Amino acid sequence: MIHQLLRREPAAVTEGRGRPLDLVPLDLASKRSPRGAEDRRAIPIVLTLLGAALWITGISLLHPSSVGIWGLLASANAWFLLAFPALVLGFLLELRRRTPRGWLLGLNLIALIVAIHGSVPIIFGAPEYAWVYKHLGIISAFATYGHVTDPTNIYQQWPALFAAVAAISSLAHVAPVSFAAWAPLAFELADALLLFAIFRLLGGERRTAWLAILLYEGLVSWVGQDYLSPQAFSYLLWLAMVLIAVRWLRRSPTVTGGRLARLRAPLVAGAPAPAHTTKAMRALAVVLLSVIYFAVVAAHQLTPYMALAAVGVLTVLDLLRPRWLLALLAVIALAYLAPHYQLISQSFGGLFSGGSPIANASGARGTYHAGAEATTAQIVRALAAVMWFGAFASVLIRRKALGRVVIPAALAFSPFLVLFAQSYGGEAIYRVFLFSAPWCALLVSSTLVELRFPRRLPLRWPLTVCVCLAVLFAGLQGLYGPARVDAFTPREVAASQWLYTHIPRGSLIVMPVDNFPALEAADYNDFDLQVMPSDPQLGASWLDEANLSQVENWITTLGHRTAYIVVSRSMAASAAYYGAPRGYEQLVAKIPTVLGGGVVYQDADTTVYRLTL
Amino acid sequence: MTQIRLPAARLPTTTSRTIPTAYAGILASVLAATVLLGAPWPAASLIGAFLLCCVPAGAGVMCWVDAGEAAAQAGLTLAISLASVAILSAIMIWTAAWEPHALLGLAVLSVGSCAYRLRHGEPS
Repeated sequence: MIHQLLRREPAAVTEGRGRPLDLVPLDLASKRSPRGAEDRRAIPIVLTLLGAALWITGISLLHPSSVGIWGLLASANAWFLLAFPALVLGFLLELRRRTPRGWLLGLNLIALIVAIHGSVPIIFGAPEYAWVYKHLGIISAFATYGHVTDPTNIYQQWPALFAAVAAISSLAHVAPVSFAAWAPLAFELADALLLFAIFRLLGGERRTAWLAILLYEGLVSWVGQDYLSPQAFSYLLWLAMVLIAVRWLRRSPTVTGGRLARLRAPLVAGAPAPAHTTKAMRALAVVLLSVIYFAVVAAHQLTPYMALAAVGVLTVLDLLRPRWLLALLAVIALAYLAPHYQLISQSFGGLFSGGSPIANASGARGTYHAGAEATTAQIVRALAAVMWFGAFASVLIRRKALGRVVIPAALAFSPFLVLFAQSYGGEAIYRVFLFSAPWCALLVSSTLVELRFPRRLPLRWPLTVCVCLAVLFAGLQGLYGPARVDAFTPREVAASQWLYTHIPRGSLIVMPVDNFPALEAADYNDFDLQVMPSDPQLGASWLDEANLSQVENWITTLGHRTAYIVVSRSMAASAAYYGAPRGYEQLVAKIPTVLGGGVVYQDADTTVYRLTL
Repeated sequence: MTQIRLPAARLPTTTSRTIPTAYAGILASVLAATVLLGAPWPAASLIGAFLLCCVPAGAGVMCWVDAGEAAAQAGLTLAISLASVAILSAIMIWTAAWEPHALLGLAVLSVGSCAYRLRHGEPS
């Protein structure tokens, strides 16, 4: 039986007193040669330093033009590629010691997070993802005008993050574009801190918590929800809510009484006893949790409902008190939603965009271009499937004491409830993955730590190393695969800034591909920015960009006498990566001749043409 | 002299994490305010602004509450600070009363809370 692979459970569990995920003292350092293991205590330090040195060497040899269509990993040098295994091995070797040094694990983890999330900002030198620049436009508008300038813009109606960053920008007199590139690194470091605290409370054993953080960093790296965005911010705050709930509001479930109690009894059997707390502390915890939740509600449209789903499941399982907390959070969310419902209705088809979870989970519709994009997509789909399967298997093999894993399991699978209501513009499945990943990582890591093999077959640590490296490199391919497309150069950002400061207000700006650092100016709303309807990923696509008369006719219908057409390195990369829109290269070649476009701005990465219609 | 009895004074705090949190709150508040009001370099001002957003408000609360684990104490200090700054900034936007320097008030409140915590020591 699979569960027999796990180390023997102590009597406390079978007696129903419960304990966290694993409090079993681990005999991880070799029993046969403890002195030998201690003699090798310098190896993790050496590997950590080696990993950091390899990464610095590797990154210094990389530049934007060296990143090809298959992404950063495929284009990187050996130094860069070897840095990650060195860091992971250093981490796991330290974790394997009888008494792992927390400072070294922490430093190693920080180095790994810096290596994962610092590479693209260092190579390209500008914030990644076109949609970050839309966020920068909102921040600039708030910092410049100090009030909502565009009530029809959904971002401006959920202003908490944008206002906070605008305040930082105003206080420091520094433009947000100059520090936005580092947001993923900052958010990941903060997430790791909170997750470590939660994992310690849920898992008990430090070793499990550390391993779960390592797995999480690999699992979640590809999903790309840690850039400067309300999602990243509200996710961080959601983790703080979980921490408060787990620390002060957790309780032992009632297993006797009504029908519901009898139904949930097998699910919560063996649940660990919550930490000691007082009535006053619980009251303060409810206040803190509600304040943080209000910040989440004012920052992001989806996260409040992800939180409600999780709190709802924990309340139904009677693992969280007070029960009215769920009602309080729902009132806060709905009270904020009510006056803004029209915007939600326009953007996402209302609170319930569709009741089919399969349709809602289908992801963004678009072209699936054979080659780099399709391969990377397959890798991350496989990673997601393995993560959920691993988490489910971890729950299954603890079926005799489900209470030990009931909280991480509830948090891991409750995000799926959102799929019964929302597709979130095709993004829902990615958010489900994001909110599920930490708890799946905890479940899988606890299983890895507890796995027991025969003494002649010491496979636990080789297996752990293989799992960690496979997860990390799959996640890295997901993150770095589209780097050439998603990242911009400072020249492209400068071109965009030139555009907004040099062309007349009210001008028409035309983009053949929706992949340019546009809309980052405070007055973004004073310009008419249009993307050619030629990309299936953006909805209706009927225009063939190679057909110049069709392009000219479409621009004419927009009702301007002058148009500014922008073409750039990142647009070309996007068209090549996704295989859409078609005809982009022909369009770029013929703008000066067939369309008669005059160059008004040009650098190595961007050209802006002015067309008189 | 009658002492004001704060609700948090009945909480089971220990000095192991709350006292360092109080010191961190005072240090971060003073440093952030000094840098923001006095430093001529944008890079230093940026550090000061981030410090103001990441520590004082949370430290002002968490110096009274022991989360039981250093990482939890630091994480909640950070999250409460960020949430406070986000809510106050959003209120300034909603009311069209944009005055980012008002956030320095968080530093003042934090110093007051942390100093009170240190002065009165272990709660009864």
